[in-house]
Amino acid sequence: MKQRMRTSWWMITVAFLILGGWVCWAAVEAIAAESDLAYFRQAKINWRQFEGQKLTIGLNKHPYTESLLPLIPEFEALTGIKVEYLILPENEYFAKLIADLSNQRGEFTAIMTGPMRNWTYASPGWILPLDQFLNDPKLTDKAWYKPEDFFPGLIGANRWNGKIGGGTGEGPLWSIPIMCESYILAYRKDLFDKYKIKVPTTYEEMAEAARLVKKNAGIDGIMARGTPNTPTIATGYISGTKSYTDGKWAEVDENMVARLADPRVVKFTQIWIDMLRESGPANWANMTWYDGMETFTAGQAGMYPDCDFFAQTYEDPQKSKVAGKVGYALLPPGPGGRTYSGLWTWALGMSKATKNKEAAWLFIQWATSQRTLLNATVEFRNYNPTRVSVMNDPRTQKVLGSWGNGAYVKTVQENLKTARVAWVPNPERGRLGDIWARALHEIYFKRLSAEDAMKRADQEINKIFKDIGLQK
Amino acid sequence: MLRHPASARQRETLLPYLLLSPGLLLLLGMLYPFFLGVYYSLTNYYLQYPHLFRFIWLRNYLKLLEDPLFSHSLKFTLSYAFVAVVVQVGLGLAVAVLLNSRIIGRGVIRGMMLMPLMMPPVITALMWKIMMASTKAGILNYLLSFLGLGPVNWLGAMNSAIVSIFIIDTWGNLPFVSLILLGGLQSLPTEPYEAARVDGASGWGVFRYITLPLLKPFIILAATFRVMDSLRIFDVIYAATVGGPADATMNLHMRAFFYAFQWYQMGMGMAYAMVLLILVFLASYILMGYWKRAAEQTSL
Repeated sequence: MKQRMRTSWWMITVAFLILGGWVCWAAVEAIAAESDLAYFRQAKINWRQFEGQKLTIGLNKHPYTESLLPLIPEFEALTGIKVEYLILPENEYFAKLIADLSNQRGEFTAIMTGPMRNWTYASPGWILPLDQFLNDPKLTDKAWYKPEDFFPGLIGANRWNGKIGGGTGEGPLWSIPIMCESYILAYRKDLFDKYKIKVPTTYEEMAEAARLVKKNAGIDGIMARGTPNTPTIATGYISGTKSYTDGKWAEVDENMVARLADPRVVKFTQIWIDMLRESGPANWANMTWYDGMETFTAGQAGMYPDCDFFAQTYEDPQKSKVAGKVGYALLPPGPGGRTYSGLWTWALGMSKATKNKEAAWLFIQWATSQRTLLNATVEFRNYNPTRVSVMNDPRTQKVLGSWGNGAYVKTVQENLKTARVAWVPNPERGRLGDIWARALHEIYFKRLSAEDAMKRADQEINKIFKDIGLQK
Repeated sequence: MLRHPASARQRETLLPYLLLSPGLLLLLGMLYPFFLGVYYSLTNYYLQYPHLFRFIWLRNYLKLLEDPLFSHSLKFTLSYAFVAVVVQVGLGLAVAVLLNSRIIGRGVIRGMMLMPLMMPPVITALMWKIMMASTKAGILNYLLSFLGLGPVNWLGAMNSAIVSIFIIDTWGNLPFVSLILLGGLQSLPTEPYEAARVDGASGWGVFRYITLPLLKPFIILAATFRVMDSLRIFDVIYAATVGGPADATMNLHMRAFFYAFQWYQMGMGMAYAMVLLILVFLASYILMGYWKRAAEQTSL
């Protein structure tokens, strides 16, 4: 009898402890949530002015999206606005988005977009400039929101005055950046040290380094994207063309006439393709960014000139065989000694056809606020940050600073000094890139010389631009 | 004024239309997008340049002829469909005959044959893409290394990419062909076989002179389905090679997709799609004619 009573007491005590623990945990969570909400309530706007409205956000399947989703309940609690979202893989996302925007259905209230995408969406007036919301004191407390905290180059990349062939950094703000990428060289420092290979400072040296890695370590010396479409051009390769020509060459001139057959670009392209044929992956023509990143992470490649933020995968010991073994450097500069990397930001914008524009702005404002972007980076690994304050936060610096023993932060900060959107603004950027990538295939498979392939690409692009009326 | 109730005769006249209305609605649902597609193919329709929109008659079709990739993609589409159908129907017949005979584990094999049919083609293609990695990390090259072969550059070289697409496509669709033919084999009458056995016919003779002729309608049916699917194959190519390397696997459907959904040039995209539609229609019309004749012959 006594034994049974003792057991019951024990059970009651344990139950109380569990319950007490749960209550404490819930209280801490509630206090934390309330403290986050209190931060937002410091803004001198009424967050609940559109309570009861509903938003549908169009999202691409991307690490940023993963970082945003757990934070959305906070926005709902703050504003009383219900948020629904549709997440699709990149190609499907853009196909769905273009259908929604072109028909002006307004299914998506806020969208994931970016500078080059805005050139297509802004020309026919499918998306809204955000300045009107940013400058409306009823909707935005600018002193609290601190738009000046964004890296100026990244905000500039999302401005465009609508002028085909130029005009970035000027005119309306079409979207607000939420993550950014520039292009750097990730290399296997352990192998470079072991085989005494020099970190390349020219593209000829890069080809030589790739050759030596392949010869000594028996793995692919260089990795690069290679599918016959725009992504193959858009990162390491286009940054290489711009650097090799000291940032003075553009793929189209001021009259929108294609200039891919420029002798300097032909020469660079020849070096790039020869390097890939000799020391790159056998299936280069089939490599996506993901394949390249996976191969490098699996320790099967010596160099990968591509997105800087892939470092978070390289440096994750649970996913990577090369964690702690990767070095980071700028892409080789041109004769003038400077690297001109391309730049891309994912950003949030707004469809013109959306009904709940003001509520959509509250969402964009909340999602791009200092606190939300900080939480997305610190808690959910959204790299690279677009706000100076998030980049300089000790927790961000601790993570980024550990990659490549500090080389990552140093390289990215140096890169961002000259990095810029690599493409000339025009709504046909995607098609131009596709034709360009097909030219690289012609060269790689020796169906045409580099010069002839680029000349043919120029002809094809010029014909299309003329048909559409883009050429002056 | 009082309304007269509809007379029985009126009701009788209306009834067939009432019963047909769901079918008519369905037909309308199918025809509307079709005619819209035909209309767009005759226009200068770009999604992002609405101001350029105008009716341009057959100019998109004339532009097709100027497109350097049109003749290439047309040739690839036709030759791929021809080879795919011949090989897949041939292999499917062999598998069906095997599964119709008394082999051990027949039930299990038949069940497993359904698995590729349950997978979306894109997933099939992505799965094979991983297995076909050009290094030893790819399971196919790993297996080949035991035989002292490889590594094969499956998807990264022009000729091997075509073969690889064919392998992926065959893996996904062979069970469908086999199941149609197996169903056909099991429905054949037994009398001709009994008569052949009495006459002492050889196994090959029975197959050549009894099974094949009786199975002809099923073979043509399976071939018709495969011709239609092979002409418009898209998912596998898009996921595995995006039409490359160097346009080696670029077919009409891929080209239509690029025009319509990558470059938003709907007019040209629809023109490509219409050429493809005509090909599919012609091929299936001819094959269905054969099928009808074969079905009549075998039922005599």
